[in-house]
Amino acid sequence: MLHRTEGIVLKNTPYGEADLLVTFLTKDFGLINTFAKSPRKVKSRFGSSLEPLTYSRISFWAKEHTSLPRLTQSDIIKPFQELRENFSCFLRLSEIAELTCNFLPEGEANIGVFFLLKKIMEMMQSSCSALNALVYKIKFLELTGYAPRLKGCARCGRSGQGFYVSQGSVICGACLDKLDEVSDKKGVVTLSAGSIRLYETLKAWDVSKTARIKVSENMFSELSGMLDAHIECTLSRPIRTKTFRKETVPFPCSRV
Amino acid sequence: MSQGIVENLIQQLMKLPGIGRKTAQRLAFFILAMPDEDAKSLSEAISNIKQKARFCSQCFNITESEICSICSDESRDRKKICVVEEPGNIFVIEKSGSFKGLYHVLLGALAPIDGITPDKLKIAELLERVKTNGTEEVIIATNPNTKGEMTAQYLKEVLTPFNVNVTRIAYGLPMGSDIEFADEVTLRKAMEGRRQL
Repeated sequence: MLHRTEGIVLKNTPYGEADLLVTFLTKDFGLINTFAKSPRKVKSRFGSSLEPLTYSRISFWAKEHTSLPRLTQSDIIKPFQELRENFSCFLRLSEIAELTCNFLPEGEANIGVFFLLKKIMEMMQSSCSALNALVYKIKFLELTGYAPRLKGCARCGRSGQGFYVSQGSVICGACLDKLDEVSDKKGVVTLSAGSIRLYETLKAWDVSKTARIKVSENMFSELSGMLDAHIECTLSRPIRTKTFRKETVPFPCSRV
Repeated sequence: MSQGIVENLIQQLMKLPGIGRKTAQRLAFFILAMPDEDAKSLSEAISNIKQKARFCSQCFNITESEICSICSDESRDRKKICVVEEPGNIFVIEKSGSFKGLYHVLLGALAPIDGITPDKLKIAELLERVKTNGTEEVIIATNPNTKGEMTAQYLKEVLTPFNVNVTRIAYGLPMGSDIEFADEVTLRKAMEGRRQL
């Protein structure tokens, strides 16, 4: 059956001689992996529409029991080329794409995540700030149901400032004593009251308004460190793009 | 029994890219009808390439000796290095006859999402060559896609301290194509890269 929808390319993987496996985040079908025939050839009709971060209108053939739909058309709506041309900006968005690919189940529409990604990409065109990437992570985890709990202890609701990565939540002193396993108490991140407030604000505010918030470097690193630890614990593996960023020269992003 | 031998050859040929069952069948019967010497040469060529092929110690092109024929050719311009992703790219550029300098194969391109970091490519070896050989120009001919662009940007940054001229191959429309069918990004790049006639 032929399907038509809008999608953002999250990643592409070369396959065979000139083919590509393209992962899209679509408006109507969520995350989908598609097979594109010969887009790597010079005169391919796909042109540059299958490059990561391109927002396109796509068509694909999918049979009910076939795991890999075949991409038949891809017309660019917005190329987001500027984001790909800036090294550090592209790295930030690669991390976002990696998270999206790893957390979302295939074939389940999540329109909230789709519009969130589109909005963040639009915002990053004018300001490629690390705060935008942090906002995406917070909102994305909330929309997918993996958000860490910072507002009170997960067991009793009392306040606490120690975030236990293995529990995905803040745990108060009294409840901490009740945890049986030593491994349950490992990986604690201490968060200041300001960082917890900032997290709740970023989570509640509309994405387009978050740019108004001025964040101190300390609070930012506290919050992003906690989120990265939480994500890696949930995924049970390190975020590849983060490792990549550590190993490459930290080029300044010209539009920060 | 004979059916088994033919079927085996068909199955082996089908492992090649772009070869389906029908083409494999046609090739198998063609090989069967070949003179003995030709068939032997073909099988020897396949086994030789697996046994003798290795990377050139300087540029990482495919060669059967320590240094490839391009690196050992004294008539080539040794002050220019063209950086490519794969050894196959050298064949295409050589066929065009447009470049008479040396090459450097990275054996891939940077890909953060796939975990391909600079240490997995032959970037340190390139820097060493530039440092010791008095290179004047490095032409970055990685693929014009996101991974290739990222690699080019990274190379530009790491080559800056060596005071070498870093250039990128041009972007634009392929010859023989129609502007009508070009996508926005390619057209924009072609406009940006226009030149005086």
